[in-house]
Amino acid sequence: MRLLVLHPARRHAFGHGRLLLSNKVPKKGSVRERQARRRGATVIKSADEREHIMRWLILAAQGDQQAFAELYRATSPMLFGICVRMIRDRSEAEDVLQETYTTIWRRASSFDPAQGSALTWLTTLARNKAIDRLRQHRDSQLNDAIDLEQVIDEQPGPANGAQSTEEYRRLQACLELLEPKQRRSVREAFFTGATYNELALRCNVPLGTMKSWIRRSLLQLRTCLDS
Amino acid sequence: MNTPLDEHDSNLRYAEYVLGVLDADARAAVEREIQSSASAAKAVAIWAERLSPLSEEMAVQEPAAYVWARIRDMLKLESPASGRVPSGRPRLWENLRFWHWWGLGASALAAVCLVLLLIPARHAAVRPRPTTAYMASTIVQNDGHVGWTATMDLQRARIIVVPVAPQTLANGRSPELWLIPAGHKPIAVGVIDGNTPTTIALSNTLIAQLGPTAALAVSVEPLGGSPTGQPTGPVIAKGTIGAAPESVEAGKSVSLRQTSSAARTEV
Repeated sequence: MRLLVLHPARRHAFGHGRLLLSNKVPKKGSVRERQARRRGATVIKSADEREHIMRWLILAAQGDQQAFAELYRATSPMLFGICVRMIRDRSEAEDVLQETYTTIWRRASSFDPAQGSALTWLTTLARNKAIDRLRQHRDSQLNDAIDLEQVIDEQPGPANGAQSTEEYRRLQACLELLEPKQRRSVREAFFTGATYNELALRCNVPLGTMKSWIRRSLLQLRTCLDS
Repeated sequence: MNTPLDEHDSNLRYAEYVLGVLDADARAAVEREIQSSASAAKAVAIWAERLSPLSEEMAVQEPAAYVWARIRDMLKLESPASGRVPSGRPRLWENLRFWHWWGLGASALAAVCLVLLLIPARHAAVRPRPTTAYMASTIVQNDGHVGWTATMDLQRARIIVVPVAPQTLANGRSPELWLIPAGHKPIAVGVIDGNTPTTIALSNTLIAQLGPTAALAVSVEPLGGSPTGQPTGPVIAKGTIGAAPESVEAGKSVSLRQTSSAARTEV
């Protein structure tokens, strides 16, 4: 039952620390969520839904295939969105998604609710797989010109018009406090998985400048978020 | 005990790791730390919690149904036909079944072609060894259609690539097949054909790399193949490598699929 102990600071994410391990099926959601679904968004925003995702992940760790299938159904559009955004090749993104879920199945037992939310665990795993793939690619194709046309999202906001979470709004507010160039670099880094070198080339600044922009931003973000 | 400065620096490295700006070597170093140090793992988890809400900005995209079928096959999960179907997405289920059968059909086609191709060889062979091993791959194009199927005959050290519905290439271009071991550069297998089956001999180096963690890919190259030894044109199709559905000659199934214990070594 170790998995069920929640860090007090994380409890808010799971609906006041309640954990459902019943076989309750997720609710259909509010009118707003249903509308968002129709627009193509997968709404994994409510505490309820997060709770289900965590429950499925914990059950998957115990070898429950049905729970794993439910987890895939609920989270794959979000994780695939991440893979496609970062890899920029649908077929390769499918490979990365496949790797991501096979790893989720095999490593589900290493998920520890005390260390963070299930959703973060899943999205982090997908991003890491995508970044690994990007590094692999670039190592084998060093001569590839870096695509300067890669455009970062200039209009921050949750995708598909979905409702944002409190965590997102908080992070967004802290990002707003950064210098525009630094904010742009952080966002570019997050969405493209680029290395310092690549970012420096893309933004046409010396490597040292890029490093100090990003590092300063990260420190500022930490101060802002932890305050 | 870390000095405040060390702590500061290493904490920044965890943040850089989570953001994704480190190169492959630096990432690997942080990953080793995560494995060996609980405090490093915790610091990384906290940074992930801080930054991951940005993922909400990435537009969600429904993956094609065959991706789930592949995952299920890879993990050897029970087929949804025998269990309950993931609820709420009847369309997904229909597609899934469709892809499942399509996949089986493509594999069966590969097996049939293999039989046809092996007929002359069987006359020469006195008696096939029962240990004959085959591997197969369905090479899927970016549009989701199967381009080729490949059957690898390990005993005879050759690969037979059969076109299913490959896209037409411009004049003066030919499709070239590559083997991509996980984490390594592509290795040229050879130029294949869009219309007729191609048989290519496999070197020992190539055979050593065949397995469930390796992939096959087809790129568009000048006639005669890539001049550089690495892909120079776009990759138009990819496939993972699994056990052939049935050992054609011995008539019994050979499982070369990844075992879960082997797969657990993955980080």
